[in-house]
Amino acid sequence: MHPAFLYAWSDRKHLEWNASVYEVTIDTTGEVIEVEEGQTILAAALRQGVWLPFACGHGTCATCKCELLDGYVEHGDASPFALMDMEREEGKFLACCATPESDLVIEANIDVDPDFQGILVEDYAASVIAIESLSPTIVELRLSLDRPMPFQAGQYINLELPTVDRARAFSIANRPEGANEVSLHIRKVPGGSATTYVHETLAVGDAFNVSGPYGQFFVRTSDTKDAIFIAGGTGLSSPESMILDLLASDDTRQVYLFQGARNKSELYHRDKFEALAAQHANFHYVPALNEPEAADEWKGFTGFVHEAAEAHFDGKFSGHKAYLCGPPLMIDAAVTALMKGRLFEADIHMEKFLTAADGQSEITRSALFKKI
Amino acid sequence: MQAKKLNVKDKYRLLTRDLDWEFSYEDRKEAFPYEEFEGIKITDWDKWEDPFRLTMDAYWKYQAEKEKKLYAIYDAFAQNNGHLNVSDARYVNALKVFLTAVSPAEFASSNGFAWAGRHYGGAGARVAAQMQSIDELRHYQTQIHAMSHYNKYFDGFEEFPHMHDRVWYMSVVKSFFDDCRSSGPFEYIVAVSFAFEYVLTNLLFVPFMSGAAYNGDMATVTFGFSAQSDEARHMTLGLEIIKFLLEQHEDNVPIVQEWIDKWLWRGYRILAVVAMMMDYMLPQKFMSWKEAWELYFEDAGGALFKDLERYGIKMPDFTETIKNEKDHISHQAWWVFYSHGHAAAFHTWTPTAEELDWLSEKYPDTFDQYYRPRLEAAAELEAKGERFYTAGLPQLCQTCQIPMFFTNVDEGKPTEIVYRESTYNDERFHFCSNECKHIFDREPEKYVHAWLPVHQIFQGNCGGGGLDEVMEYYRMGLGEMNLDYKGSPDEKRWKKWKGVA
Ligand SMILES: Cc1cc2nc3c(=O)[nH]c(=O)nc-3n(C[C@H](O)[C@H](O)[C@H](O)COP(=O)(O)OP(=O)(O)OC[C@H]3O[C@@H](n4cnc5c(N)ncnc54)[C@H](O)[C@@H]3O)c2cc1C
Ligand code: FES
Ligand SMILES: [Fe+2]
Repeated sequence: MHPAFLYAWSDRKHLEWNASVYEVTIDTTGEVIEVEEGQTILAAALRQGVWLPFACGHGTCATCKCELLDGYVEHGDASPFALMDMEREEGKFLACCATPESDLVIEANIDVDPDFQGILVEDYAASVIAIESLSPTIVELRLSLDRPMPFQAGQYINLELPTVDRARAFSIANRPEGANEVSLHIRKVPGGSATTYVHETLAVGDAFNVSGPYGQFFVRTSDTKDAIFIAGGTGLSSPESMILDLLASDDTRQVYLFQGARNKSELYHRDKFEALAAQHANFHYVPALNEPEAADEWKGFTGFVHEAAEAHFDGKFSGHKAYLCGPPLMIDAAVTALMKGRLFEADIHMEKFLTAADGQSEITRSALFKKI
Repeated sequence: MQAKKLNVKDKYRLLTRDLDWEFSYEDRKEAFPYEEFEGIKITDWDKWEDPFRLTMDAYWKYQAEKEKKLYAIYDAFAQNNGHLNVSDARYVNALKVFLTAVSPAEFASSNGFAWAGRHYGGAGARVAAQMQSIDELRHYQTQIHAMSHYNKYFDGFEEFPHMHDRVWYMSVVKSFFDDCRSSGPFEYIVAVSFAFEYVLTNLLFVPFMSGAAYNGDMATVTFGFSAQSDEARHMTLGLEIIKFLLEQHEDNVPIVQEWIDKWLWRGYRILAVVAMMMDYMLPQKFMSWKEAWELYFEDAGGALFKDLERYGIKMPDFTETIKNEKDHISHQAWWVFYSHGHAAAFHTWTPTAEELDWLSEKYPDTFDQYYRPRLEAAAELEAKGERFYTAGLPQLCQTCQIPMFFTNVDEGKPTEIVYRESTYNDERFHFCSNECKHIFDREPEKYVHAWLPVHQIFQGNCGGGGLDEVMEYYRMGLGEMNLDYKGSPDEKRWKKWKGVA
């Protein structure tokens, strides 16, 4: 059929979507990325915050070699030495050169964490039970699902909101109890279509689809080191789930939560964590405001949340596990502080709340760090 | 829930564990006598993350396949008289530089990795270094084989191992590897794997390999692809070693910083010859040295050092100097070789009119002002039959052994040569730069006995005092592999093959 003919009778957006975006599942971690026509798998992965090993970025070094479990790829400019004929026959390809020709399932050379449960991603039908204000810019959105969704505390789901194209990621803030309810903390992003929709249009009873659980952000319980959580803004969501889960399971390690917000009105769930700290001797809670208002009469820590952690630990972090959650700038500052305090990549775990405004520059980073 | 599969990391662990052993009747410290001698503190070898997970059997399988492919192409290249397809016979001189400067470095590096690999207490690092040692040997051999076809048709290839230990400019690379091989195992690997293989390799390999591609040299291009497929392992090893050392103990941070500073500088100095090759020796040019430096160091290296800052490592101060020098060094180096063209194992020449214009375009701030007039004057002399060769010998830097031709660009004096000196044990030593002086001052004992080819000539240790004697000592002769390209046997043969008058 001639493409022009197709164009004439189908919805334009729908056609483009079908013709140009492939779904690539990384079997090793269960992560799913969307790759546009002509885009390499590596470029798409890095732009979507999914790490794949790479070095040269142009088909000569073989660092990015992956295995195809299902689907078809075009090998692009892969050097015959970096990807030999026998390997092509075995279904290997180079992620930095290969472009999908169908949806794919691939295996990449990434380490799977021993604490990763590998819960399968599925689609769920969701309906809104409640939308409540947590702060002037944040709402709590409670959804009921058509069936319970198993997940690991810290993981996130994708929301397919009506009238918004492409799915949006939000972390689950409640602990996994086997119930068919999830709770999300959603900040309104200026100029953001999905979050504005949630804040202004979405109503109780509305229904849409979600998929999940996704992500590599969960507590490494097999490592018994004390845990430091650093949360900025709605980055409290995952840590809230993780901490509730840890405390509910009577885990005895020391757990520290540093919660950052601009001012007192943005600092939500403070009472909840103060109560938990009073109940559990091993849980310690430090809220930090970076721009408190005079009316706040703030007596707690003033400054950025990573500075609160530095002050608490006297700048020395080694021997801990750190879990960071929130906007990219906050995460960056926290990683710098932690590394200065000699805590390194293997013990730093994070969920960066990337938005469409952040995604562009990821590939220019060096290959020094894999996850941070 | 998904069934748990063994991931690559665990598979590799299972396949390779028990390569290490407990020391029951010997003292572990005596088995690894160099592990502490540089001041590096290793607290836990288990934190070593294998930078690549290649088992020995897979390694042999892959390498054998690569060799098969590579040699098939070499054979085809030879059968089709591939040398006749290069852009111009002048190009072959870039290969002579490669064979005499780069290939012996591969061999030295193979040697260095075999030694360093013996001396790491951790099995992971030992295996990685030993595998790299074999890779480097493979590169050395395959380079020689790639060049051996050219050796049948052009002058200047045949005596490279003999020359390596004698000729003035070859001592630059030789001394680099002698220096790092005579340090400890950690400094060695920071020097070679990190500073050279990770940070600077793109400035060495890409110019030669793209140069080959642009000039129709398929044998070298193919070698390049084959080597680059090993290079990834070398680069990831460079990154892992840096992370490992920096994370093991905070006392390692200042030591590693000094090594990074020293070896980036030493590596950069060697690249002067690459700069000259790119700007002057490729008949078909693909990029200027300045552009390559900006792309591969200023952009890519910038991102790396931004990440390294988190460990407390900073970009060396001298990168400003390098930035200032990028408009100059290729022109300065070419002039040194042009004027000493009788004592080099390759031909030199004055650029054509189009090449001069290309240089003007690529170096708008410096070429017409400082370098074009000199080259035009040389061309005029040549036209009168008075091709210029200097009668003097260059003064060499005690540290990098490069002739002192670098100028004071930092202080805006691009026509004034930099002379630095230090006095040690009542003896005066000379340097091309603040940085080479600093390297010497840090470890003077390491450099006072340097075998400086020019000093050796003057001391009568190179066959005698006359040019003829030295050329004989070098096995260079006069008028075949050296002197100007114009009128050389290479040129005559090329014209004959090509049917040009
Ligand atoms: C794993 C994960 C978990 C997350 N969890 C949470 C959570 O629990 N709570 C929460 O509040 N947030 C969370 N986020 C962030 C959240 O997903 C984003 O805020 C959300 O996707 C924004 O959607 P939007 O439609 O409102 O904004 P978008 O319309 O996508 O726009 C976002 C911003 O980018 C700008 N922009 C849009 N397109 C472009 C473009 N092409 N180039 C440059 N700029 C552009 C917009 O102007 C706006 O400022 C999470 C993010 C990730 C990745
Ligand atoms: S990253 Fe080097 S081949 Fe893909
Ligand atoms: Fe020097």
